[in-house]
Formats: sequence, structure tokens, C-alpha cells
Amino acid sequence: MKAGDLLKPFRIASVSPEGMKAWARFLHDPNPIHLDPAMVKAKGLGDRVINQGPANLAYLINMLQTAIPNGFIESLEVRYVDNVFGGEAVEAGGTVKDISAHAVTRRISCDVWLRADARGAVLTGTASVLIPV
Amino acid sequence: MNQPPPPLDLGEPPQVAGKSLAGRAPYVISAEENRALCESTGVAPAADGSAHPIYFYIATQVGMGMTVAGLCAACDFDVEDGPMMASSKVTFSKPLVTGQPYQVSGRIVSLVRKPSRKLGVMDMLEYLLELSLPDGTAVLSTTNVWVLPRKKLA
Repeated sequence: MKAGDLLKPFRIASVSPEGMKAWARFLHDPNPIHLDPAMVKAKGLGDRVINQGPANLAYLINMLQTAIPNGFIESLEVRYVDNVFGGEAVEAGGTVKDISAHAVTRRISCDVWLRADARGAVLTGTASVLIPV
Repeated sequence: MNQPPPPLDLGEPPQVAGKSLAGRAPYVISAEENRALCESTGVAPAADGSAHPIYFYIATQVGMGMTVAGLCAACDFDVEDGPMMASSKVTFSKPLVTGQPYQVSGRIVSLVRKPSRKLGVMDMLEYLLELSLPDGTAVLSTTNVWVLPRKKLA
């Protein structure tokens, strides 16, 4: 792996409304925009349920863990740029910006993102992952 | 000669900086929930008892001393008005594991009112949450920023 390399993408072919119900329980957050399309429409936010932001971030973390096996995510910083809707296809990816060597680890610094197929970036950010030398 | 427009009087947001968000009870990531969460995101749970790193968000959010609605209410904001996540930042010192009690501590860092072309008026809420082991060993630190649209001030 070297600076400029693309990280292996992680893809969700269709974001599941059933998954949103599960995340409402994980997060103890009953916000109806994640559960009820009628409520999303009433709020003028579209006509499909909206995925929880942390679930979108989990897809991005899955990409990092799959692309950099045995890596330890040291830090992660993201901006929530847009919503992800039920049924959408999304893909997490990244590029290696820098690799630095340390005593017993190497630090891989990356730009990372999650993109909705139809609309572009929904999450953007940076990550730092440590791997053993 | 053109004069700059007078600054808008947006009013002052509630003074909440420094408010404690310490949890009342330890948060434990259950192996069963971790499995369900991993599967909901398209991956298998780790075989070594590691929890999905997204629990940095869940453990701190659920384990802090108030609900999301309560946090919004502390900022004089009705959760029904739709808080929006703006950014999250986390730094891990240790991996998260299932079955381990974690203490949650934290505080509101700032609540800043701003004009917004899209929302009219909004408050930016920044809060810091930390997880530690029962002996005080640091596990992670996270900072979240939310946008609170102030529709009534727009």
C-alpha cells in the first residue's frame, strides 16, 4: 500500500428500512423520519425513510476494516453532507494520503467518503489507521 | 459610499457551555446487539469479542446523562424541530469490546448562533463525550456537532 492508492470499496446495494428499525433500537432513538415515510413527507424531506447518520458511518468503518485488515482505527473525522434514503445504493471508499513509519506500527492516513449512487457524497472525511510493522 | 449592512440581531442562545453529560450508569455493549448491528451493516461480528467501532457513537450517545431530546431541551430546542448531524470526530485509545462496562463522561463545549442562507437562523451545538474503563483508563474521545435550525427566529 502506498500514497495515492484507492482503498477497496464497501458497497450496500440497497439500504434497508428494516435495518433502520433495528438502528432505532440500538440508538434508543424513535425519530419517525427513520421509520415512517409519511412522516418524512410531512416534514418535506422526501418520500422515503432516512437512514440514521451513524449507520452511514458504520458502512464507512466497514470499508476501512475490510480494506486494511488488522488495522486499528486511531481516529476518524467526518462531515454529514447529505441524507441516505431507504432503498438507495451506497458505496464507501477512500484514498491513501500518507503512510508513516513508527516504532512498532505504520500509520495510514486516508481521505474517506460514502457516496449514494444517484446523488454523490453523503459523508466525507479523514481517517488514520495503525497497522503493525 | 456603500455601508456594510448592520449586523442581524439573532438573539443569544442559552448559556449551556460546560454542562455535564456524564452518564449515570456504565454502558455495556452486548454481544447479541453487536452481532445484530454488524449484520445490519453487511459484515459478520469479530470472532475475538471486539465490538463494531461505531459503538463509539452509540455507547456515548446512549450512555450519556441525558436523552437526545433532553440534550436538545437543554439548548431550548424541541427535538421535533429536527436536529441535524453536522460532523463527528473520534480518537480511539483502545478497541471496544463486548461485555465490558464503560463509563461515559462529557460536556457541552459550545452553542453558537449563526445566520444560515438555507435555514435562516441556526445554532451549532458542539459536545464532547469520552469513554473510559471503570479504573479510569481512557478508551476514546468523541466530539459531535449538530445543527439546530431555529425556524421561529428565521
